[in-house]
Amino acid sequence: MDGAYACVARDGLGKLTVEGAAQEAGVARATVYRTFPGGRDELVAAVVSWAVGDFFAGLALEIGPVDDVATLLERGLVAGRRRLAEHDVLQHALQVEADQVVPQLASVMPAVLAFLRRDLAQRLAGERLRPGVDPQEAADVLSRLALSLIGTHGAWDMDDPATVRRLVRGHLLAGVLEDPGRP
Amino acid sequence: MTGTVASSADALVDGWATGYRDADALERRLVEAARSCIARWGLRKTTLDDIAREAGVGRATVYRAFPGGKDRLAEAVLCHEAGRLFTGYDAALSAAATLEDLLVVGVTGALAVMQDDEVVRSVLAHEPDLVLPHFAFHRLERFLDVAVALCRPHLGRFLPDDAVHPAADLLARLVLSFGFRPAPWLDTRDPAAVRRLVTTYLVPAVTPPPEEPS
Repeated sequence: MDGAYACVARDGLGKLTVEGAAQEAGVARATVYRTFPGGRDELVAAVVSWAVGDFFAGLALEIGPVDDVATLLERGLVAGRRRLAEHDVLQHALQVEADQVVPQLASVMPAVLAFLRRDLAQRLAGERLRPGVDPQEAADVLSRLALSLIGTHGAWDMDDPATVRRLVRGHLLAGVLEDPGRP
Repeated sequence: MTGTVASSADALVDGWATGYRDADALERRLVEAARSCIARWGLRKTTLDDIAREAGVGRATVYRAFPGGKDRLAEAVLCHEAGRLFTGYDAALSAAATLEDLLVVGVTGALAVMQDDEVVRSVLAHEPDLVLPHFAFHRLERFLDVAVALCRPHLGRFLPDDAVHPAADLLARLVLSFGFRPAPWLDTRDPAAVRRLVTTYLVPAVTPPPEEPS
């Protein structure tokens, strides 16, 4: 994976080959094919999903232990946007080969959404919810919006703590929590 | 800066509406032909020749109608469709008497386009790689601008000025997400289910929070 990722960082996803990854990692081509019998396509999918996993694992570490959903979302959105902006490999790929990279990323997103949804649903179950709110549904809505907001800032300046607070407590959680805290 | 972006999105939306309204019979026929070809063969494989044959006109006529050629074909069809939808839904949106009704009509209509329109559905199912890159990361900004321009006159009837942009932004993101990845818990064709989504989650999320005491 390190070898493949190094190739992508240097030459882009479009130029990733089994040969290149093998050379970079100092192993034989056959070794790569044993791990990824599907060849290049499988290698591409694997390196993208590895990079996405790495991104969110790093994000989770940076957020650290948090008790309440509001603080989790605030920290997650700010750190997520910053990590994305500072992610040189991804930023470069989005500039020069978005047409190849975005569909690959999109194919990993259901897994990311599912993970986020499970985590949020568990946390929501421990909070006071507004009448009629279902923790699973709310977790789904919040996960979708959070991922979208990390990818694209749109109307929100995430560098401004007051905006983030208003976004999370005044909008995202306004229909979900009985008391999201003062926006 | 924001003003320029917003006004260019406004101009685009106006362009769709007038483009659709002013399209002549030939243009409509060509767009219909293009839709049939794309639904049948996909966007990638459809050529201007296919459209000429489908519409029963000469090649030169198609090239005159789509001067940008094949590359601009999708855009031309999309603009026409956007104009059609905009014109079609405008009346229903304008008739909504409450924010809740407005969101039910808007969300239902937008998701119906993504899930029921033959052409959109076919391209999303078979050629998502042609569509998705335009709706993610920095390219999504453009779509969000357009969505805000589309929503502003309607949301503006129920929300204060400064609440319209944030509201349209969140609604557009959510509709896109449900359109691209339907949620098992939300049957978007069931009016009662959409209304529950709207009243429980959307109305509180787009209604501005009470002012902080200063």
